Amino acid sequence: MNDKRLYDTAMNQGRSMVYKLLSSLFAKELDHQLLKELTASQAQAFLAQLASDPLFIQDIATLNSVLNSTLNNVNTDHALLELAADYCGLFLVGTKHSASPYASLYLKENAPNKDVLLFGEQHQQMQTYLQQSQLTVQSEFPEPADHIAVILAYVAHQACASDDKTQLAFINQYLNAWLGSFTDKVTSLDTGKFYAALAHLTQTWVASDCEGLAADQ
Amino acid sequence: MNRRDFLKSLMATSYIALGSASVLAPFNALAAAGAKTNNDWLTTGSHFGAFKMKRKNGVIDKVIPFDSDKYPTDMINGVKGLVYNPSRVRYPMVRLDFLIKGHKSNTSQRGDFRFVRVTWDKALTLFKDSLDEVQTKYGPSGLHAGQTGWRATGQLHSSTSHMQRAVGMHGNFVKKIGDYSTGAGQTILPYILGSTEVYAQGTSWPLILEESNTIILWSNDPYKNLQIGWNAETHESFAYLAELKEKVQQGKIRVISIDPVVTKTQRYLDCEQLYVNPQTDVALMLGIAHEMITKKLHDEKFIEGYSLGFERFQPYVLGESDGLAKTPEWASKITGVSPEIIRDLAKVMTKGRTQIMMGWCIQRQQHGEQPYWMAAVLATMIGQIGLPGGGISYGHHYSSIGVPSSGAAAPGAFPRNLDGDQKPIFNSHDFKGASSTIPVARWIDAILEPGKTIDANGAKVIYPDIKMMVFSGSNPWSHHQDRNKMKQAFQKLECVVTVDINWTATCRFSDIVLPACTTLERNDLDIYGSYANRGILTMQKMVEPLFDSLSDFEIFTRFAKIMGKEKEYTRGMSEFDWLKKLYDDCKADNVGKFDMPDFDTFWKDGYVHFGEGQPWTRHADFRNDPEINPLGTPSGLIEIFSRKIAKFNYDDCPGHPTWIEKTERSHGGPGSDKYPMWMQSCHPDKRLHSQMCESQQYRETYTVQGREPVYLNPSDAKQRGIKDGDIVRVFNGRGQLLAGAVVSNNFPRGIIRIHEGAWYGPVGKDGSKQGGNEMGALCSYGDPNTLTLDIGTSKLAQACSAYTCLVDFEKYQGKVPEVSSFNGPIDTQI
Repeated sequence: MNDKRLYDTAMNQGRSMVYKLLSSLFAKELDHQLLKELTASQAQAFLAQLASDPLFIQDIATLNSVLNSTLNNVNTDHALLELAADYCGLFLVGTKHSASPYASLYLKENAPNKDVLLFGEQHQQMQTYLQQSQLTVQSEFPEPADHIAVILAYVAHQACASDDKTQLAFINQYLNAWLGSFTDKVTSLDTGKFYAALAHLTQTWVASDCEGLAADQ
Repeated sequence: MNRRDFLKSLMATSYIALGSASVLAPFNALAAAGAKTNNDWLTTGSHFGAFKMKRKNGVIDKVIPFDSDKYPTDMINGVKGLVYNPSRVRYPMVRLDFLIKGHKSNTSQRGDFRFVRVTWDKALTLFKDSLDEVQTKYGPSGLHAGQTGWRATGQLHSSTSHMQRAVGMHGNFVKKIGDYSTGAGQTILPYILGSTEVYAQGTSWPLILEESNTIILWSNDPYKNLQIGWNAETHESFAYLAELKEKVQQGKIRVISIDPVVTKTQRYLDCEQLYVNPQTDVALMLGIAHEMITKKLHDEKFIEGYSLGFERFQPYVLGESDGLAKTPEWASKITGVSPEIIRDLAKVMTKGRTQIMMGWCIQRQQHGEQPYWMAAVLATMIGQIGLPGGGISYGHHYSSIGVPSSGAAAPGAFPRNLDGDQKPIFNSHDFKGASSTIPVARWIDAILEPGKTIDANGAKVIYPDIKMMVFSGSNPWSHHQDRNKMKQAFQKLECVVTVDINWTATCRFSDIVLPACTTLERNDLDIYGSYANRGILTMQKMVEPLFDSLSDFEIFTRFAKIMGKEKEYTRGMSEFDWLKKLYDDCKADNVGKFDMPDFDTFWKDGYVHFGEGQPWTRHADFRNDPEINPLGTPSGLIEIFSRKIAKFNYDDCPGHPTWIEKTERSHGGPGSDKYPMWMQSCHPDKRLHSQMCESQQYRETYTVQGREPVYLNPSDAKQRGIKDGDIVRVFNGRGQLLAGAVVSNNFPRGIIRIHEGAWYGPVGKDGSKQGGNEMGALCSYGDPNTLTLDIGTSKLAQACSAYTCLVDFEKYQGKVPEVSSFNGPIDTQI
């Protein structure tokens, strides 16, 4: 265990918050409550702080612009439905013509004959990780454990509970191994801008975080 | 700012609210131990047979055949893929434009457009609101909820029963008569032999194997089709086919497959084939009849004692009534079978004991009533109906027909109709002058031409003005003909609701899509062997319903709750209450005949065995005494001439079997100069209709470059520069599809085969991804009903005519599109 990291609570909580935010945006469609929350001052301050890193400025600007235009739309309901339709087409149907949020569907590309069924090997491995950390996927979230929202939430948990080396190994194996392909898919398929920006922000953030974790070791 | 400070500064913003939205929760070891998943072998059944399954960490791991299944189908390898395939409907979904505009939505978008996830409550409320709107504005004729199909197995969760009981509690609706499989056969045969015959137990295989000298498989491929059954299939028939194979090899039984193609059964039995030009079987049969009459080979005594109207038929055969003798020479020109072979066949069929076994494909063509009727006449002329190993059958390729029945009472099912004293909320029976029941395959015509009157089975059917369709466990975008015509019709509908496990094309053309779970995600029970009734099988839940899917029972219980009729719907009983009731009722019915343990023992054991049955001969009682045991025909006899049908005065189905030319026919027939190839779209070898096409890895065992195979004759392929494995465009004036070439000598020149049930995957006309809902779209996977003709068989049955279909094909030169069938709705508009 790297005691220095574990005790550096504020810093790791900051990292954890970013992962949590990303996880929650991949977990479900934007609704009124989440929209309100994200456009309120605390979240805006958080996003502004995140955007102080030039790496993230563009994606956060895009996310903010969609959030604000949705909030200020004369028909917010309708604008949210359009975003929900984007979300649905990307993450809730099919695999081939969508940007399926499941790790197993990307990792199989290295081994074309491997199992491509949902709830496959990656799901099982994530289940094991979660159990080892005394965690489980919420029953309200009836998705395989290799869903990107679960993996991001697990990294958020790890940020305050594991040493750098463990975290880095996990992120490399379970996130970085497929995040690039996933982001490419979202970017090429997203009919709006929100999820393309979110995926890109995730990819950039994870890369930057990995650099930091590696450097701190 | 360094990284450390940067990260700390994020925390300093005190933004923590999102923590509540975490997808993770503490793992409750105690609760998990309580809900400890059972990793024992559990027993379940399906159309593909019964099997045992084992879980690992809550996921289905192993699937093995049930102990007593000695001939399991290869399709068992696709079962796991049925559950975990990427085509699953994961949440209730509503088409975006429908969600916003309701019944005034842009219906031209239907097909491939934007959906959004909604809650079950929202989806079911929208469903009910739509029913309210249709019943209020149009009455029951505006709603068709009768277009049902091959639901998943299970006596409790049967999707048809649940949907129709629940929708029936809301209001009345248009229903179908007949089915796509046997529409012509089941309509004509009651006039001729007194029952549908297609869905009736047949002479037992042991008697056939003992007594038959000759078996004629007429357009019949049992070795392919017996893999699946209406209930959990026992596959016992395969033991008899193995015995038959032996007898064929020993020269004890002669089996002749009369078929344009070399069938799987022919290859298995290594039996003879008699090639006949497609759609000309009636002409062949008439040629045989002519030979029998002129050589006096027919059994005049049997004809006299057991049938009616031969004297009206004989002049037609001899040409006395129409000036055209149906000689073997005449038949030869149409059928491509030499006069000598026809003469020989007449001799062979009347010498010794001959069992004719008809398949179903032959009646899925224009005038499909005729070959069934004419075959019954031939069997009558042979004179062996009612003898073991003789006569005619229409179902020995289906669901354990011919396997001796145990004789036990089978378990009942969840009720499809309302209970006696129940009334729907909208109880109008005013169909506005239109028919409340229409022939199964005519619903698209009805949507397109409401108010039109057609002849059907002696009555006038007036098409209702259908505004809303509800489907459950049925995929008409697989089994109906002519996709472009369907697209036109669907644009006229205000609302389409589909309950299904996967994103079938029917779901994609719907407004509200409700996810049902698979049979492995709920508890049920089933008859083991539809006609054999070998026992009762548990269908034990293997895993909880995936994603937000629900069992059919749960879906429609929730729907009933929204209507305020939950208790009426369920009779206050839970899933397990119902299972116990169905089992206990069956136990009571079998008291004194078959011992059945209590429910808990049954559930623990997984199976109750009713034992073997006694061999039985179809129509033996009629043969023994036709007066005491008459057939269900108007005269009680076999009707070679039907006065009743003659009185209908139909030009396409006169009073006796008749050769009638088809609208399109290959091998020199009408239209063959433009599109020279006949396309047969028979039941698949590796699916049940469209079920299991979605099982990805299993599908990949037979696809060619990811496409459905198209089977081609080597010379036809060579002429078009096509090699085995190429992508082929198959086309006609009605549509176009891509399929993968399998070049095979089993298919003679002028004939191609694409199995029905291949999932429709439309892409733009030119192969571009855009435009899946456009007219003339290219099917990227190979659904043959992109090409088939949507007309009734005749004014009698008005059944489907998928086998009357001419096409041509070429090597595909364009940009090859990705297959779009299996990935849910694709946003093609932007």
